[in-house]
Amino acid sequence: MDTSIWEPIIYLVGIMAFAGLNAAYLGWCERKGAGHIQRRIGPKEVGWFGLLQPLADGIKLMSKQLLVPQGVDGILFRAAPILAMVPAITSMVAIPFSETIQARSIDLSVLLIFALASIGMMAVLIGGWASGNKYAIISATRSVSQNIAYEIPMLVTVITIVMLSGSMNLEEIAMKQEGGFWNWNIFPVAGESIAQAIIMPISFIIFFICSVAETNRAPFDMAEAESELIAGFMTEYGSMGFGLFMMGEYLNIVVGACLTTILFLGGWYGPFGFTSSVFWFLLKIYILIATFIWIRWTFPRTQIYKLLNLSWKILIPFSLAILLLTAVFLKVEGFLI
Amino acid sequence: MEQILDQQTLTNIIYVAIFLIGALLFGFGPIIIVKLISPSSHTRNIENKTGQFIECGIEPIGSAWIRFGIVYYLYALIFLAFDVDVLFLFPVAVAYNNPEFVVRDLVEVLIFVGILSLAVVYAWVKGVFNWEQKKYHHQ
Repeated sequence: MDTSIWEPIIYLVGIMAFAGLNAAYLGWCERKGAGHIQRRIGPKEVGWFGLLQPLADGIKLMSKQLLVPQGVDGILFRAAPILAMVPAITSMVAIPFSETIQARSIDLSVLLIFALASIGMMAVLIGGWASGNKYAIISATRSVSQNIAYEIPMLVTVITIVMLSGSMNLEEIAMKQEGGFWNWNIFPVAGESIAQAIIMPISFIIFFICSVAETNRAPFDMAEAESELIAGFMTEYGSMGFGLFMMGEYLNIVVGACLTTILFLGGWYGPFGFTSSVFWFLLKIYILIATFIWIRWTFPRTQIYKLLNLSWKILIPFSLAILLLTAVFLKVEGFLI
Repeated sequence: MEQILDQQTLTNIIYVAIFLIGALLFGFGPIIIVKLISPSSHTRNIENKTGQFIECGIEPIGSAWIRFGIVYYLYALIFLAFDVDVLFLFPVAVAYNNPEFVVRDLVEVLIFVGILSLAVVYAWVKGVFNWEQKKYHHQ
């Protein structure tokens, strides 16, 4: 165990560069994608195809006044944007990008990432409450109820995966899925039983819906429903306070896509079994992120009670049923083939 | 053996701590740059309403920190029951695929998850998930 102090620092610098690039350019991708979905062009003025737009936006946000309205809760108001940013980057310490590119293989990495994700949820609550704005407070309560509702099916689905893999280490979970797509957790035909392979796609859909809801994205963006709540918990934030919330949102999407890829889509393994590299991992996460953007711009916003009941009436019973069925399939040899 | 484990845990903690510090830098950095280059001391403030809360153009009426009815308060209560129990399932799931105790493991997980599911059934029967329009009678 001779670990140099430089190794984590090199990883940190790499991941900060990755995070910064993603936070900047996912915004561009989203605006461009939204533009084309709505038959517009999207950003095109700054640079070639508007590629310098994130830079221009960053400079603009940085030159704006950091306004703290009179009568807010000062400390919490200032802490919230930073709190939105910190957990997303910290949780990347445990994400394996390929067999060799991983900052640290931690045994409890699944639990660590979920614990940090709930701190990110706290940022929305704190920011909304401390703003002292009515819209922001409504947004904060909504967002918390939504996040806790969708956290349960997500955790139960993850428990199913942990049961199948026998480990809570993301690296080991990914390594269990070595080989072609027939070994991946989304459709493990080569696994113990065919019945398991039939229920796992449902599990994947539940997890994906929950990760869209956990990142507060449309159609589940009750927290920042522009047409009713102005900008929700971000209403009173301007300048880089707003910028940090936005970057935090995009980084949460990246972390969510990484988790989905590792848990269900075979991590860094290629679909036909003979290649494995960081290329496949990045390809998978960007396909998932493109799906996130696609969903956002093609579905209308739901209503809060439909949103909560979708989780409690459909997703939670289904995920619990899948957990029980997995428990049975693992123990009873040859049950249903 | 114990020594090695300790060292590994320590290294984990150091890695997470270094990333935490990096993330804090990433969070504070933009704020510090804004403090340096933005016009933070003087702004055009003719009506003296720059620091007023946004309420779509009108003067805010009263404070926002008041008691108000959160209909989804009951959802939070069920969540508390659920989340703690779900956390207990993690260690169970890690040790589950062990061929030693087939019947005992299966029966125990079935009982545990079965009782856990009753929380949803209870709330459903009690009508927590029904949203009826409230009728207020003003006098």
